[in-house]
Amino acid sequence: MVVAVTNLTYFLAWAYLDPRSNYVGRRPPLSEEQIVNLLEPRNLDDNVPLLERWWTWFSGIVFRWDWGVSPTGQSVNEQVAYRMWISAELMLGATLLLTLIGIGLGVYSASRQYRLGDRVAQGTSIITMNIPIVVAALGLVLLAIAFNNAVGSTIFYVTGASSPGVSGFFPTIVDTAQHIALPTAALVLVGYAQYHFLQRSLLLDNIKSDYVRMARAKGLTKQQAIRKHALRTSLIPVTTQVAFSIPGIFTGAVLTESIFAWKGMGQYFIETISKNDINGVVAVAAFGAVMTAIGAILADIAVVVLDPRVRVS
Amino acid sequence: MTTPVLSVRDLTVSFPSEAGRVDAVRGVSFDVGQGRTLGIVGESGSGKSVTSLAVMGLLDDNARVGGSVMFEGQELLGRTDAQMSKIRGNGISMIFQDPLTSLTPVFSVGDQIVEALTIHDARLSRRAAWDRAVELLRLVGIPRPQERVKSFPHEFSGGMRQRVVIAIAMANNPRLIIADEPTTALDVTIQAQILDLIKTAQRETGAAVMMITHDMGVVANIADDVIVMYAGRPIEQAPVDTLFADTRMPYSIGLLGAIPRVDKSEKRPLVPIKGSPPLLVDLPDACPFAARCPIVTDACLTAEPELVAVGGHADHRAACVRAEEIRAGRLGDDPVYPVPEVPASTLETVPRELRKPTLEVENLTKTFPLLKGSFRKKKVGEVHAVKGVSFDIREGETMAIVGESGSGKTTTLLQIMDFAAQDDGDIRIVGTSVADLQGGRAERELRRDVQIVFQDPVGSLDPRMTVFDVVAEPLRTVGMPAADVGPRVDELMDLVGLDPAHSDRFPAAFSGGQRQRIGIARALATNPKLVVLDEPVSALDVSVQAGVINLLDELKVRLGLSYLFVAHDLSVVRHIADRVAVMYLGSFVEHGDVDAVFDDPQHPYTEALLSAIPVPDPVVERGREHIVLTGDLPSPTDTITGCAFVSRCPLFQTLDENERVACETKVPALSGRTGVHVNACHHR
Ligand SMILES: Nc1ncnc2c1ncn2[C@@H]1O[C@H](COP(=O)(O)OP(=O)(O)OP(=O)(O)O)[C@@H](O)[C@H]1O
Ligand code: SF4
Ligand code: SF4
Ligand SMILES: [Mg+2]
Repeated sequence: MVVAVTNLTYFLAWAYLDPRSNYVGRRPPLSEEQIVNLLEPRNLDDNVPLLERWWTWFSGIVFRWDWGVSPTGQSVNEQVAYRMWISAELMLGATLLLTLIGIGLGVYSASRQYRLGDRVAQGTSIITMNIPIVVAALGLVLLAIAFNNAVGSTIFYVTGASSPGVSGFFPTIVDTAQHIALPTAALVLVGYAQYHFLQRSLLLDNIKSDYVRMARAKGLTKQQAIRKHALRTSLIPVTTQVAFSIPGIFTGAVLTESIFAWKGMGQYFIETISKNDINGVVAVAAFGAVMTAIGAILADIAVVVLDPRVRVS
Repeated sequence: MTTPVLSVRDLTVSFPSEAGRVDAVRGVSFDVGQGRTLGIVGESGSGKSVTSLAVMGLLDDNARVGGSVMFEGQELLGRTDAQMSKIRGNGISMIFQDPLTSLTPVFSVGDQIVEALTIHDARLSRRAAWDRAVELLRLVGIPRPQERVKSFPHEFSGGMRQRVVIAIAMANNPRLIIADEPTTALDVTIQAQILDLIKTAQRETGAAVMMITHDMGVVANIADDVIVMYAGRPIEQAPVDTLFADTRMPYSIGLLGAIPRVDKSEKRPLVPIKGSPPLLVDLPDACPFAARCPIVTDACLTAEPELVAVGGHADHRAACVRAEEIRAGRLGDDPVYPVPEVPASTLETVPRELRKPTLEVENLTKTFPLLKGSFRKKKVGEVHAVKGVSFDIREGETMAIVGESGSGKTTTLLQIMDFAAQDDGDIRIVGTSVADLQGGRAERELRRDVQIVFQDPVGSLDPRMTVFDVVAEPLRTVGMPAADVGPRVDELMDLVGLDPAHSDRFPAAFSGGQRQRIGIARALATNPKLVVLDEPVSALDVSVQAGVINLLDELKVRLGLSYLFVAHDLSVVRHIADRVAVMYLGSFVEHGDVDAVFDDPQHPYTEALLSAIPVPDPVVERGREHIVLTGDLPSPTDTITGCAFVSRCPLFQTLDENERVACETKVPALSGRTGVHVNACHHR
C-alpha cells in the first residue's frame, strides 16, 4: 500500500510540478545548458524519459534508502529525518487525545441523552466541528498570549517545536509539552466532535439492545450493564474509524504547523510544493501513507483487544 | 394457604407519546404460586411484555408505573435500580423472545453465565463459577459443554442460544422465571425442546413461571392458570382447563376459534375477529372490545366491564357484561361468532389425476458455492440448498412445503420464480418448460401466470407508493391500457375485501392484515394461474391471520387458483393445503395428500414435527406424547453419505446394527403409494 501510494504520487508530482521553472526567468538568465547541468545530477531533468527518472529515484530508495534531493541540492533524507519526529509527535498525540476525548464525551452524552449535559456537549461539538482549523489555531494563540501575559511568564509557546539549548530528560519533556500544547489543542478542538457523535449514537443503539436488557435482567445495574456490555461493543466500530481519519488529521497538521511555525512535515509539504521539490513532496506523501498504515495497525490491534471473536477465528 | 411468590395488584403502566398518554397496562392483578405456571396470552400490543418488564423493573425511564408488585412479601415498585438489581437474576430471572440478540456478541457464553453467578455471589471463586457454568450448560442440553463454554454466541444456533439464556435464568435458582415469548422465534421441534427445558428448570428450582405467549397451544401445553389480555387489561382469567372448556368472554372465544388445528382434518372455515385492537390513547369508558364484538349490546357501551367471577367460580373471572349468558363459547343455541361461508369448489369433485397441472417441478437442484477469505474469495465447498425436489400442482390445488428454517423452502420458491433452468430436471408452468423460454417476451407472458406474496406485509410494500400504484404496477408492466387499470384496481381491492375508496392511501395507513391483503391483490392483478405464498400469515396475529386464510380459501375457489404455499406453521398448512411435502435439509422426506400425511405420518421426522406442535386443548395436550428431537439441524455444508436425518432420528436409535448400516450409507429415496403418500425412510 505505502509503496503504491508513494509511486503514484511520484508520477502525479511530475505531472503538476515543474522543477525547471525554478530556474527559468532567473536574473541573470541561465542558459538551457546550465539549467540541465543543475537539474540532471539531481534527477530532476525533464528531458530524461520519465520512466528512467522514476527508476533512478526508486532504485535509490530501494538500494541506498536515498530519497533524492531538492532542486537546490538539499538532501530529502536529512530534512525528513528530523521533521518526521516533530510531526509524528504532534499527529499521534493529537489523534490519541481527540479519540479519547471524543469517545469519553460520547459516553457521557449517551448516558444522559436529551438532558442538559448531553445538549450542551452536543451543541459545543457542533460548533467546534465547524470551526476552520486556521481560526481555531489563531484563536488559541490569542488566548495563550493573553494567558501568558496574565501569569507573567511564558507557559505556552506559540511558535516553534522546541526551545534551543534545553537539555536533560525532564526539562526536554516540559519544554516539548509547552510547545506542543497549543497545536495539539487546535487539532483536537476541531477533530474530536466526529467521535463524540459516532460514539454517542452507537452507544445509544447498544443501550437499547436486547443484550443490555438481558445483562440487567441478570442483575447488573443499568450503569454496570452499559459499561460492560454496551460500551465494549460500541467501541469496536469507533476504533476502526480512527484509522480512516488519519489522513484528515494530517491535512489539519499541515495547516497547524505552518501557523505555529513548526518545522515539521506539514510545513515541509507546503514548502516543497511551492519550490517544485518533487522528491520532497513524494517523501511527504510517503510519510502520510506510513502514518495511515500505523494508524490502521494500531486500530487493528485495538479491535483484537476489544473483540475476542477476532482472536478465535 | 401459603403466600404466592408473586402477587400483582392493579398494575398500571403508561408512557408519554406524541399522540397523548399511552395506557399500555390498565389494571392487571394476579398471583403466581410456587411451582405454578401462569400463562399470559393476547395479541400484539395487548401489554403482555410491558407487564413483565414492569415486574422486572426494566421499563424505560419515561414509563409511569402504578399499583403494587409484591415478590415474596416485599413491594418491588418504587425501588431503585441498584436495589432491583439484587433481585433481578437472583430471585426473579427472565428469558427473552429473541435468542439471537439477547446475548452480548463479544463475550463467550461461559463469561456471560459466570457473570450472572458472580454478580450475586461475590465470594464464589472463578473456578467454581466456571465449573457451575459447564454444569448448567450440560443441564440445558448443550453437547460437549466443557468445550462449548468458551464459544461465542455467533457460533451457536438460535435454539442453542436460547438454551444458554435459560441456563443463565436458572443459574441462581430463582423463585420466579418470566419467559416472554421464549419460543416464538424458534422452529417447532426446537420449541418443543425449549418448553420441555423450561419445565425441567421449573422442576429443578421449584420456581414459579410466568409464560407470556400468543400461542394458545403453548398455553395448553404448559400453563396451570391463564390470563387473556386485551387492550392492556385482563379480560378473562381462569385455570387452564376451565378457560378452554368454558370460555366466557367473546374475545377469548374468538382467539380460540381463529386458530386452525393440526390434529383435526375437518375443513370448516376459521372464525376471524373483525377489526383491530383499539389505540391505547384516551380509551372511552366502555368495553374496549365492543367495536369488534359480534354480540355487543347497549350495556357494553355504558361502562368498562369489571373483571368479575362468573358461573359461581371464584377463580374464573371475565370482563364482559354478557359473560353469564355465554356458556362454552355459545350464546343460547348459537355460537357467539357466526361461522362464515366459504364456497365449495366445483373442481374438487374432479379427481386430481384428471385436472391439468399448473406447475410441474422435476429434480430441482440448487447449490451455492461456499466462499472463504475476505479479499479474494476462494471456493471451499458447496452448500446443497435444494437437492432433487420433484412435485406437481394441479388446477385448484394447494401444495404446501413445510420444514424448519434453513431446510430450503424459500430457495425452492425462488428457483421457481426465477424460472431457473435446470441441468438435470425441469420446471414447467402451465405446460411451458422454462428451458424453452426464448427472449424476454415469452418470459413476460409466462410471468403473468405466476405471482408471489411475501411474508412481511410491511417490508414488501414500497412505503412511498399509494396502494393504487402498488396494485396497478403489475398491470402496467404487462401493458394494460391506462383506462382499464383504474376499474381493475377497484375490482381487485373489492376482491380481497378492501374498500376501493381507500386505494389512494399509503401502505402505512393499513394494518398488518390489510397490508397482506394488498399484497394478495397485487399478486392477483394479472390473473395468474399459480400464486406462490412465502409464509403469508406468519407475521400476523391469530385473529387477523384467520381472515387472510379464509380469503385465500375463497379466492382459490372463486378464481380456480393453485397455490404453492410455504409455511412453518403446520396447523395453518393442515387447514389450507391439499397436498403437503415435508422438507429436511434440501430434500423432501415425505410427500402426499395432506390428510394422509397428517393422520398417518410415516417418516420419523414428520412424526416428530407433528407431535411437537402443541394443540390448543389442555386435555388433549396432556395426553399427547411429544417426540423431542435431540440436537439441531446439521449444517448444510456437512457432507452426508446416508440419510440426512440420521443424526437426530429417534427410530435410528432403536434399530439394530444391521439395520443401521442402510441409514448411514444409502440415501433413502421417496417410496410408498406413488402420487398419494410417499416417504424417504429405509425402515418405513
Ligand atoms: N417504551 C415505550 N414507550 C411508549 N409506548 C410503549 C413502550 N413500550 C410499549 N409501549 C406500548 O405499550 C403497548 C403494549 O405493548 P407490549 O409490548 O406490552 O405488547 P405485547 O402484548 O407484549 O405485544 P407483542 O405480542 O407484540 O409482544 C403497545 O401499544 C406499545 O406500543
Ligand atoms: S362487554 Fe359487550 S362488547 Fe364487551 S365483550 Fe362482552 S358482549 Fe362484547
Ligand atoms: S433412513 Fe434411518 S435415519 Fe433416516 S429416517 Fe429412516 S430410520 Fe431414520
Ligand atoms: Mg411482547
